[in-house]
Amino acid sequence: MSGPLPAWSEPFAADHRATLDRTAPFAAVDRGWAFGAGDGAGVVVAVVDSGVEGGHPAVGGALRESVRVELDGDDAVIIADDPTDAVGHGTACAGIVHALAPAATLLSVRVLGTDNRGKGLAFATGLDWAINNGASVINLSLSSRSESMYATFHDLADRAYFANALLVCAANNVAVASYPSLFAAVVSVAAHDVRDPDIWFYNPHPPVEFGAYGLDVDVAWKDGGRIVATGNSFAAPHIAGLAARIRAAHPGASPFEIKTILAATASPPA
Amino acid sequence: MTGAGAADPLIPTLRAVALRVEAARRLSPPAGSAVLHSIVEATVALFDAEAASIALHDVAADRLVFTVAAGDQGQGVVGLTIGPAEGVAGYVFSSGQPLALSDVERDARFGRTTAERTGYVPRSLVAVPLLDDEGILGVLEVLDKRGAGASFDLRDIELASVFARQAAVAIRSSRVERDTATLLGTVLDAVNRAPPDDLDVEPIVAAAVAALDGDGAEPLWALADQVARIRAIEPAQLDLVRDLLAVLVTRAERGGASSRARPRPR
Repeated sequence: MSGPLPAWSEPFAADHRATLDRTAPFAAVDRGWAFGAGDGAGVVVAVVDSGVEGGHPAVGGALRESVRVELDGDDAVIIADDPTDAVGHGTACAGIVHALAPAATLLSVRVLGTDNRGKGLAFATGLDWAINNGASVINLSLSSRSESMYATFHDLADRAYFANALLVCAANNVAVASYPSLFAAVVSVAAHDVRDPDIWFYNPHPPVEFGAYGLDVDVAWKDGGRIVATGNSFAAPHIAGLAARIRAAHPGASPFEIKTILAATASPPA
Repeated sequence: MTGAGAADPLIPTLRAVALRVEAARRLSPPAGSAVLHSIVEATVALFDAEAASIALHDVAADRLVFTVAAGDQGQGVVGLTIGPAEGVAGYVFSSGQPLALSDVERDARFGRTTAERTGYVPRSLVAVPLLDDEGILGVLEVLDKRGAGASFDLRDIELASVFARQAAVAIRSSRVERDTATLLGTVLDAVNRAPPDDLDVEPIVAAAVAALDGDGAEPLWALADQVARIRAIEPAQLDLVRDLLAVLVTRAERGGASSRARPRPR
């Protein structure tokens, strides 16, 4: 079947990758230095999604805490949650992160599955909680399209950046405004078309700066199952896992420096 | 209560109804269900898929309702309702993120509940949100490309998203029509509640319609006619139609319903 790739994936397609070429100023930074023996130890990664199945073999017992957002009138509140996942998507993301950074600790923030009418608020509240509860890498395979939430998410993206938390966001597959994935302070990720988790591309033409493995990914799913999945939302946790490893190897690195290291160690576009 | 006393508050509402009906007529928005049917049928044909379906979000009930389907294996899903974050369709709706899954049959637990209700478990599927600039209206699902080993890839997600975009435009347009019907129904309810001897509907309608300037040279209608012509050209310009329609509706509301005759959900 022919046709364009998802809008944000297009730069990462085989016949477009020449546009990713650039003069790399970081020749001395290679993957050996970037990751060292980093396995994510000491790093807390939050998965803001549909929940995480704590007992799933792919999560490997790494899930430390689960919370969910509930709406109370116009307010959203955080409450403790069972380590379960009604869909499987959050578990898929957690499993990808765990496979790459097995020593990282995971937090699950369930923001989907409550009242749809308040989902933008629930999402923002869950993200705020993750920033304030020790997560230094936060995987967001979802985004909000609500213009009314623009300022809220912009503020949260800035606060995460200043709090030394790296937001890794899946770009929406269609080229529409979505937040916070299109903010400059975050790492925005789309899927490339190579079935290899060790390949990631850097795109010097924002807003979507990274292409990662998101095509036919064998992922964990609900009830201890597995499934083969495709989408930007499975590309983001690959970058989140790599970021956790960089954080473990270089605990003093800031979000800006981690993004730079990810760019410096990206696969050659050819 | 006198007849005149009961009738007066209805006139602005009737005027709003007439304005919307005229706007809808001039723009000739696609009839919602028929267009959605054609979209899922085209989706099945293009993907050579076993089935395609559209689930729409019922805001009042906060449920996703499978409204139309096409394909040999598609019909069982029509009428099914699920929670707004339940299953793959719910995830796509609530997260806004499209996704494709394959090897679904490998996990016997996958979709069992839904399968029992529809009679069909897919091997693979792609689900994309029906979205426009105002939000997410529902989900388009495509099940099982025919052919050995066929699964959905990134290009399929993009292609399905194009169909979903068309569906979203059609739904927005049909909702304007439905809004009109609701408004009309509200007014007629009010009329019905008044004693027949006490209220003569005809003068009210006549007054409302007379208040509309039906002259095609009037700028509002000239604009509507222009937009209707633009709409026939290409899909991208459907966006413009929708935006202008929103302006028309807003204008109708400002000039129309009083607080006493506000349309009610039904």
